[in-house]
Amino acid sequence: MSRDHYSRRPLIDQVHNNFDLDVSDEEEGFYAVDDGDYLLHPKWRAMITRTSNRIPRRLQRYLVIYAFASIVLLISWRLYIGPQYAAHQAELAVFDAAAQKEVPSSATPGFKDMLQVKDLETKYLPKGDGRLVAVGDVHGCKKELEALLKKVGFQEDKDHLVLTGDMISKGPDSPGVVTLADKLGASCVRGNHEDKVLLSIQEAAEYHDTTIPRPDVDSVDPVPYDVEDKDVSYKNPKLLKLAKSFTQPQLSYLQSCPVILRVGNIGSLHNVAVVHAGLVPNVSLEQQDPFQVMNMRTIDLETLLPSETRAHTPWEKYWNHQQKNKPETEQSTVIYGHDRKRGKNIQKFSMGLDSGCVSGGRLTAMVIKEGGRHSFLHVKCKGYVD
Amino acid sequence: MYIRYVLVALVVGAWALPSPPTVDRPDDKRMGGDAPTVFNPDGTRAPSSHQKIETTPGSPGGSKKSIGNAIKWKGPAEKYFHESTFNGHYDGRFADRTLPAESRNEHLRALVRTYLATMHALGAETWIMHGSLLGWWWNRRIMPWDSDIDVQVSERALAFLAAHHNMSVHAFQDVSWLGGVDMGGQGVSMEKNNHDEDVDAIVGKRKYLLEINPNWKNASYADKYNVIDGRWIDMKTGLYIDITSVRWNQSSPVPGTLYCKDRHHYLSRQIFPLRTSEFEGVPAKIPYAYQELLAEEYGTKSLVQTVYRKEGHVFDKEKMEWVAMTRPGQYGEGHYKKTEKAKKKAAGTKNQSPNSNARDEGKEVRLKPKDGRGGQYLMGNAESVMTVVWRLFVGV
Repeated sequence: MSRDHYSRRPLIDQVHNNFDLDVSDEEEGFYAVDDGDYLLHPKWRAMITRTSNRIPRRLQRYLVIYAFASIVLLISWRLYIGPQYAAHQAELAVFDAAAQKEVPSSATPGFKDMLQVKDLETKYLPKGDGRLVAVGDVHGCKKELEALLKKVGFQEDKDHLVLTGDMISKGPDSPGVVTLADKLGASCVRGNHEDKVLLSIQEAAEYHDTTIPRPDVDSVDPVPYDVEDKDVSYKNPKLLKLAKSFTQPQLSYLQSCPVILRVGNIGSLHNVAVVHAGLVPNVSLEQQDPFQVMNMRTIDLETLLPSETRAHTPWEKYWNHQQKNKPETEQSTVIYGHDRKRGKNIQKFSMGLDSGCVSGGRLTAMVIKEGGRHSFLHVKCKGYVD
Repeated sequence: MYIRYVLVALVVGAWALPSPPTVDRPDDKRMGGDAPTVFNPDGTRAPSSHQKIETTPGSPGGSKKSIGNAIKWKGPAEKYFHESTFNGHYDGRFADRTLPAESRNEHLRALVRTYLATMHALGAETWIMHGSLLGWWWNRRIMPWDSDIDVQVSERALAFLAAHHNMSVHAFQDVSWLGGVDMGGQGVSMEKNNHDEDVDAIVGKRKYLLEINPNWKNASYADKYNVIDGRWIDMKTGLYIDITSVRWNQSSPVPGTLYCKDRHHYLSRQIFPLRTSEFEGVPAKIPYAYQELLAEEYGTKSLVQTVYRKEGHVFDKEKMEWVAMTRPGQYGEGHYKKTEKAKKKAAGTKNQSPNSNARDEGKEVRLKPKDGRGGQYLMGNAESVMTVVWRLFVGV
């Protein structure tokens, strides 16, 4: 039917009474496929059909799946992996740049009555069934320490115990822990709490009394003192109370703890050192700043100065990065505590063992066997402080 | 201990100061004789007019000087300690000239050694601070460009000194008494180069005056002319150590806040408990968190930067001491400018971290890893999708 055929007729002829507009699904036309001839020219359509007919159906399906998968990948890359990867690369670049810098060349602060480095006697190195047991910050939790040693199956004659500092203060029985450590012949390192207690005792001995409020044991988050009760708060702070609770043998045990315990070479762990807080890579143990060895949490990669704050890069990140680039004989593993907030933190070259026992966390032990094979055991703690 | 050095205590009122001293002046041949010579009184109100010093340069055998009767205060009458009019680092009663930089350093070292050793012997709690603490950080010595020594005492120690040792004059016959502190064989002690014979010679000849400001009991900031609580004065050269007391700020909401009248303030935990170390070869107390205090006051750069251009000194790692630069720009001309540039550059570029290293003498810091890829991923649209896909399959 051509256009002309209709046009020759008057319009009135097209009027009809049949207004039934219902479309019945029983009619064949209802199911007619919309060819979409208004989208693609039939010629093109034919071409596509010809081509796609040659490609097996299965392949076509795969193509769709591949396309979908790559879109997912692309999106996740753009949103998540990419930025992370970039951050990682940028961090490596910063580490590499930091490694090129000279380490600070000022003199190492040297202090009276403070051992910088002590070597662990070779007879204590793990050998045969003899193991080395390193325990994180005990903080006066004697019961938990005893329970942990029982769980480890500690044998006094074969195994050797090493405490990573902060064995005292906060918890219920600081003197008891010192006595136990002394009895077991345990090695120890000087933590920031031991440092403060020992210094305070020395100060009190030299100057008898003070007019200035002395910092408390945990002065990082100090407890506000009651102004009405200021007499108590500064003349007899918790720190001095704690200091007074120790007997002379206990104090001399604490005094014998070095800032750094050089354990020596243990197989796959290479050179092992025990400290309380951390170490700066590429600086000899003798030249480490003792205050920072007992207090550091982060390291400023611009100056390579460690810091107790959390404002910079975690020191152990930089430490691990630096160890990887070293020949095996120079690689060194640090066993440490101190960082309760970050908790147990095990990396290839750094073993953070403080899992917050005194505040209701766990007391963690690292059990090192001959050749450097090691495992971690822990007991739950009661929680004595918040 | 007391017997080993002579301690002469003189009554405050009866002690006549040589003012104006005309005979007992230091007669050091090394010093230039043309410095102005004006002396300050110790108590009497001076006439307000200020007479110029007459000097007659060019006369044979050095310049002659004639001192008029007019004496000038420095500062108002409420002020107890009066510095010389020619230089704030000298006590006008004992000095008529500044010392040349090189001998000043020796005299300062003699001062600090005698001061620390004496306080140690007296059991007065004192510790080093500020510039001296920075010197201790680097090599346990005074920095060569230092013009003064900074020490602090506890309020109790100040009360003790005021009550029992004010206006005491100290002389040291046996110089070896100043000796080093017993570091228990553990501290990484410096070579004994801290014992300079020149310094010992100075110590042997000198008398030192310990003078406490009677206004020490006034703990208020308002007493702004007496922020210095005491002085340890070399009675020949007029050089002195300012002694300031750390006081407890009981009205502060932060517990354990301390302050000095010179408006420095600290937290108790930064200073106490004190540590025992060594400074200029004598026992010295060091604040507990020494690094934190130094970083607060001078910035972390001051703890690592081995080139100190402002004073023209470089830290020699072999000798462990600050040595003067032999010529300007010896350690990298425009060193600071370069690092500043690098900083700006780093701040401008998106993915670079501000890594300008002030210590490696202007060397550009390499920010890209060696293989040249990665580290530069941009989240913007700068990169085409193809590049990203390429990186995805090849790069990772």
